[in-house]
Amino acid sequence: MSFFSSIRQKAPFLERIAESFTPTMSRDEKFRLQYKLPDDEHIIDDTNTDITFTTPYGTNHKDKRRKDENGNQLAYVFSGKLFLTPHFLVFRDAFDQSSCVMILNISTIKRVERSPSLSYAFALLVTLYSGTQILIQFIGLRNRSEQFCEKLKDMLKHNIPNAKRLPMFIESCYSNFLIEKNILRKTDIVAPKAGLGQHFKYPGQPDITKEKAKLRLWFEYFKENGENLAIIQNHTFQKLVRIGVPSRMRGEIWELCSGSMYLRFSHPGEYQKLLDDNRDKTSQAIDEIEKDLKRSLPEYSAYQTPEGIQRLRNVLTAYSWMNPDVGYCQAMNIVCAGLLIYMSEEQAFWCLSNLCDIYAPGYYSKTMYGTLLDQRVFESFVEDKMPVLNDYIVEHDIQLSVISLPWFLSLFYTSMPLEYAVRIMDIFFMNGPKTLFQVALAVLKVNGDDILQADDDGMFIAIVKHYFQTLHESAHPDSPDLKYRQITKFQELLVTAFKEFSVITEDMIIHERNKYKKTIFENIETFVKKTQMRRMPKTFNLSDKELSNIYDVFYQSIETHKISLGTGSSNMTFDVFLQFMGKFCDWAKPSKNDDDPVFKKQKQTFLKKLFNNWDSSKVGELTVNDVVLGLDKMVTPDLLEAMNYFFSLYDDDKDGQLQKDGVLQMSEGLLLLTTPWKTGKFVDLLTKKAIEDDIADEIVKETSIDQQASGSIELPSGVTIDEEKYKAQQSERYLKAASNFLQRCFEYAEPLQIDRQVDLLDLSDDNDDKPDEAKEARKKKFATIVANAALDPTRPTAIDLATFRMVILADETYELFFSTTLRDSIHLEEGANDSGNNQVLKSMFDGIIADGRRVAERVRRRVDSVATNKSRADSIETNTNESIHTTDTNSKMIDLDDFTTDHLEEHEELLNNSWEDMDDSAEQNARQERKIEPMSPSASEKQKDLIEFEA
Amino acid sequence: MSNPITSIKLVLLGEAAVGKSSIVLRFVSNDFSENKEPTIGAAFLTQRVNINDHTVKFEIWDTAGQERFASLAPMYYRNAQAALVVYDVTKPQSFIKARHWVKELHEQASKNIIIALVGNKIDILEDNENERKVAREEAEKLAEEEGLLFFETSAKTGTNISEVFLGIGEKIPLKGLEDEHNNNGLNVTEDQRINLANTANASENASACSC
Ligand SMILES: Nc1nc2c(ncn2[C@@H]2O[C@H](COP(=O)(O)OP(=O)(O)OP(=O)(O)O)[C@@H](O)[C@H]2O)c(=O)[nH]1
Ligand SMILES: [Mg+2]
Repeated sequence: MSFFSSIRQKAPFLERIAESFTPTMSRDEKFRLQYKLPDDEHIIDDTNTDITFTTPYGTNHKDKRRKDENGNQLAYVFSGKLFLTPHFLVFRDAFDQSSCVMILNISTIKRVERSPSLSYAFALLVTLYSGTQILIQFIGLRNRSEQFCEKLKDMLKHNIPNAKRLPMFIESCYSNFLIEKNILRKTDIVAPKAGLGQHFKYPGQPDITKEKAKLRLWFEYFKENGENLAIIQNHTFQKLVRIGVPSRMRGEIWELCSGSMYLRFSHPGEYQKLLDDNRDKTSQAIDEIEKDLKRSLPEYSAYQTPEGIQRLRNVLTAYSWMNPDVGYCQAMNIVCAGLLIYMSEEQAFWCLSNLCDIYAPGYYSKTMYGTLLDQRVFESFVEDKMPVLNDYIVEHDIQLSVISLPWFLSLFYTSMPLEYAVRIMDIFFMNGPKTLFQVALAVLKVNGDDILQADDDGMFIAIVKHYFQTLHESAHPDSPDLKYRQITKFQELLVTAFKEFSVITEDMIIHERNKYKKTIFENIETFVKKTQMRRMPKTFNLSDKELSNIYDVFYQSIETHKISLGTGSSNMTFDVFLQFMGKFCDWAKPSKNDDDPVFKKQKQTFLKKLFNNWDSSKVGELTVNDVVLGLDKMVTPDLLEAMNYFFSLYDDDKDGQLQKDGVLQMSEGLLLLTTPWKTGKFVDLLTKKAIEDDIADEIVKETSIDQQASGSIELPSGVTIDEEKYKAQQSERYLKAASNFLQRCFEYAEPLQIDRQVDLLDLSDDNDDKPDEAKEARKKKFATIVANAALDPTRPTAIDLATFRMVILADETYELFFSTTLRDSIHLEEGANDSGNNQVLKSMFDGIIADGRRVAERVRRRVDSVATNKSRADSIETNTNESIHTTDTNSKMIDLDDFTTDHLEEHEELLNNSWEDMDDSAEQNARQERKIEPMSPSASEKQKDLIEFEA
Repeated sequence: MSNPITSIKLVLLGEAAVGKSSIVLRFVSNDFSENKEPTIGAAFLTQRVNINDHTVKFEIWDTAGQERFASLAPMYYRNAQAALVVYDVTKPQSFIKARHWVKELHEQASKNIIIALVGNKIDILEDNENERKVAREEAEKLAEEEGLLFFETSAKTGTNISEVFLGIGEKIPLKGLEDEHNNNGLNVTEDQRINLANTANASENASACSC
C-alpha cells in the first residue's frame, strides 16, 4: 500500500547516501536545537549554579512568604546548569527542565558584580537592562567558577556593540509595549509594527474580552519572568501557550519559541538589505512566487489588497535569495501568509527561515525529501500506534500520505479553518515538529470509526475534510452532560494529540527519520534520474546504458551537488570537467605525463576547447545535457562526421577556414589525443593486425600444406610476441603521422579567402557607431589586408574543411584514428566504478593471443591466398591493409544503409566536393602513403563560378 | 437502478497555475474563482455524468503543479484510467511541461490510459489573439503523434470543459451489466461520504441511494 514500498528499488548510490547521512549530532548541535539558538552559538563553558530572580516591578504578590522579616524579597531558588555561549547565558533546572529555562541574551546585561554570599563560595549579581536581577551562586571549585566568570567577562565585552542596538530592538517587541504602557504608564506610546491583523482584523470570531484577559495573563507573566531577550520559561509559559496565545501577542511568542527572535536581533538590517540588493532581479523562484501571491489564504481579506500581497512578495522573495537551494516551494506561500497576519515582514522572514531549517527540515527543498521522509515516519507511527486502522488501510489499498501529506506540508493551514490552524502553530513553535505528528495521529484516532468504513482514498479524504470543517462543533452533541456537550471537536483534538500521543517524542522522530532516510534518498535519486534521463536530448550514438552511466559519473563528479537533498548547483565547472573526462577517455586519464608542463597545457587546452564547444548556454558551466550531446558527437561512427567535428572545434569564428595558428593548435590537439598510442600504452588496430599477420605467417611457415588443407589448424602453443618491437613501430607511425599532418596542412593551405573577411569588416562597421577616426583606422587596416592578399606572397594562408579531411585521409594512422581509434578510446560504459583499466596494455596483447580462433581464420585465408596465388611478393603492409579492411567491416558492423544517424547536410556537402568525386575510396584504402593531388583546377574553377554567379 | 455505473479514475497534471483546479471546479460545481489556492499535494473530487444511458462517475485527482511536486505524481496517477495534461495557451513553458508529462505517462502509467491534452485559458485570447503563445497546430501535432485527445478550454467561461470529460468518458470501455453487481452495496455508503464534501452531487446522490 505504501507509496514508498511501491516505488522502492535498488539504487546504486549507497555510498553517497551513507556519506550525507549523519545519525549523531554533536553536543553543540543538540544544544542549539534544544534552545533554538542561531548557528554560530556554541558552548564556551558550563557550570553548576543556583539561581534566583527578582524583577523590578515589585512582585506585589499575595504570596507573603516571599518576603523575609526584614522586608527583603525572597524568591525561588533553582538548581541547575548554566551555559555560556558567545551571545547567550542559558540556564536550565537540573530536576525539571520545564520548571525553569532561562535564555538570556548577553547584551541585555547591564551590570555584573560580585555578591557577598554566606553559603556559597562565589556569587554574581547580574542586573539586566529591564532592572531584573539575577543572583548566580556557583557550586563547585572556586577556580572553575573564576574561570567561568573570566569567560563571561570576555563575552560581555564582545557584546557591547549589540547592547547599543538593544533599546531599538526591544521597542519592536509587543511585550515591551505591554510593560511600558501598563507599568510605566506611558501615554504617548504606540504598539510596535506588527502583522496584517493589526489593520485587517485577526481571524476567527473577535472575542475582545477573552483576548484582553489573555493579554493580561501574559503581562503578568512578563512582569515576573522577564520578556523577549531575557525571559524565563516555566510551566505557566507552556500553559499560556496551550490555551491559545492572544492574537496581538502571537507574533512575538512565535518568534520567541522558534528562536527566530535571536536571528532577527543578530542580523539587523539584513532583511532589508536582501530586498534592496536583489531588487529588479529575476529568477525561477520569483516567477513561481508571483504565480501564487494572489493564491495565498485568499479567504483572509488582507491578501486581496496590494499591501498584503506586497508583504508576502517581499518575505518570500527575500527568503528565496537567502536560500537559493530551496528557492520557493508551493505551500510556503500559505505558511508565510499565516505568519504575516501576526508578524511584521522582518519577523516573518526570520521565522520562516527557522521554520524551514528546524521545524520542517527539507519539507520545501527541491526534492521535498523532508516531506517524503516525514510521511514515511508518520506511516510507521500509524503502524505502531494504530494497528487496526493500519491493517484496514493496507487492506483497502489506501495511501495514507495522499491524505496526510498536505497536513504536514502546509502545517494544517489548508486543512483547518485559520483560527484553529494558528492554535496548532502556537504549540508547534513551542514543542517542535513532534506537534505535527501528534495532531495528525489524533485526527486519525478521533475519526477512526468513520475511517474504518472508508473503501478508498476518496472516501477517506472526504471524511477528514468534513471533520476539519466542523471543528467548532460539539464533540459529544448527544451527551446529557452540558459540560461535556460544550467540548468542541477542536478541544477534543488537542487533548487527544497532546495527552494520548505525548508518547511521540522528538527523539523518536529523529530516530525514525534516520531509519528511513536511506530508502527515501535512494528512491528520490532513482526518481530524479529517471526523470532526467527521460528529458535528455535525442542522441544518435549513445546506448541507454551509456547514457545512464554518463549520468551517474556526471553527478558523482559534482561533489557539491546532492541529488537527494536537491542542494548545490548541478552544473559542471571546468575543473570538474577535467576529472570527469579522465574517467572516460584514455587520453584524458590522469597519468605520469601530467607532470610535464607542456603535456599538461596541451591537455588543458584541448579540454577547454571541448568544454567551450559543449557549453550551449555560454555560462562557463555544463549541464548534463550539454555533456551528453558533446559526447554523442565525439563517438560518432561516421568518419566524416568525426573529422568535421574535430575541425569545427578549432574553427572558432566558424568561417570554415583555419589559419596557421589554428592548424598548429589542431596538431597539438592531435598529439594529445594520440599520446596513449604514441607511448605504447595501447595498441591500435593497425598494430593488432600486424601482430596477427605475423603470427599467421609463422604458422603458415611451420605447417605443411596437407595440414592446412585438412582444415585443422591449431595455434602453436609457444607463440611469443615481441611487445617492444610493435610498440616502437606504432610509436614511430604516430610520430610520422603527426609530422606529415603538419607538413601537408601547410603544403595544401590556400590563400585566405579575403572576400569573407571583407564582408565581416563591412558588417561590423555598419553596426557600430564608432567615431570617424576609428572607422578610418579600420579602413586602412582593411586596405592593407586586401593589398596583402593581392600582392604579398606571404599573405596569410588557410586550410578549409575539405583540405583538412584530405590531409587526414592521406594518412592511414590518422584516418584510422578518426574512424575507430578515437571512438574506442572513449569508454562510456566504464568510469562509474573506475579502476580495472591500468592493465589494459597487458591484456591487449594477451587478448590477441587468446583470440586464437580469429588468428586461425586469418591463417586459413593466408593459406588460401598462398595456394591460389603463388606470388607472395606483396609487402606485409599491403596485407595488413587488406585485413584491416575486412575485419573492420566485420567487427564494427557499420550499417551502411542506415541513415538515421546521419546528417543530411554532410552528404550534400560531399556532393559539392569535387575532389571527393574523383577519388576512388577503395583505392584510397589500398595505399598507405597516398599522394594528394592538389585541388584540381576544375574544382577551383567551379568555386569561382559560384562566386561570380552570386555577385 | 436503471443505469450501470462506471467509475473512472482521472488525474490532472500540468504546470503550476495553468488552471487544473479551476477546470475541476468548473466541471464539478460549474463555478470559477479568480484566486484559487495552489493545490498542495493533491485534491480529490468526484462527479457523475450520464453518457449514452450509462452513468459515469469520475474520481478526479487534481495534483500540484510545481516541478518539485513531480516526485509525488506517481502516487496519484497509479491505476488512473485517464489523465488530463493541462497547459496554459499563453505560457509556452507550460506546453514544454505538458510534453514531459505525456512522455512520463506513456512510460510509467497504466498501459491503456486515455490522455487528453488540454490548452486552458483561451478566454484570454478573445480580447487579444496576440496573447496566444502556443499554436493550436503545434498542440494538435503533439496530440496526433502521441495519440491524445485534444481540447482548448476556458475554465473561466466554461468553454469546452464538459466536452473534455465527455470525450474521455466515451473512450473508456463502459462497464456492462455483469459489473453492476459489484457497484451495489458498497457504493451507497461511499457516495454518501463523498457528498459530504461535495454538495454539487446531492441530487444524484439521492438516486444512487434509491437502488
Ligand atoms: N483567464 C483565465 N484564468 C484562469 C482560467 N483557469 C484558471 N485561471 C486562473 O489561473 C490561476 C490558477 O488556477 P488554478 O486552477 O489554481 O491552477 P492549478 O493548475 O490548479 O495550479 P496549481 O494547483 O498550483 O498546480 C487562478 O488565478 C485562476 O483563476 C481560465 O480558463 N481563464
Ligand atoms: Mg490546483
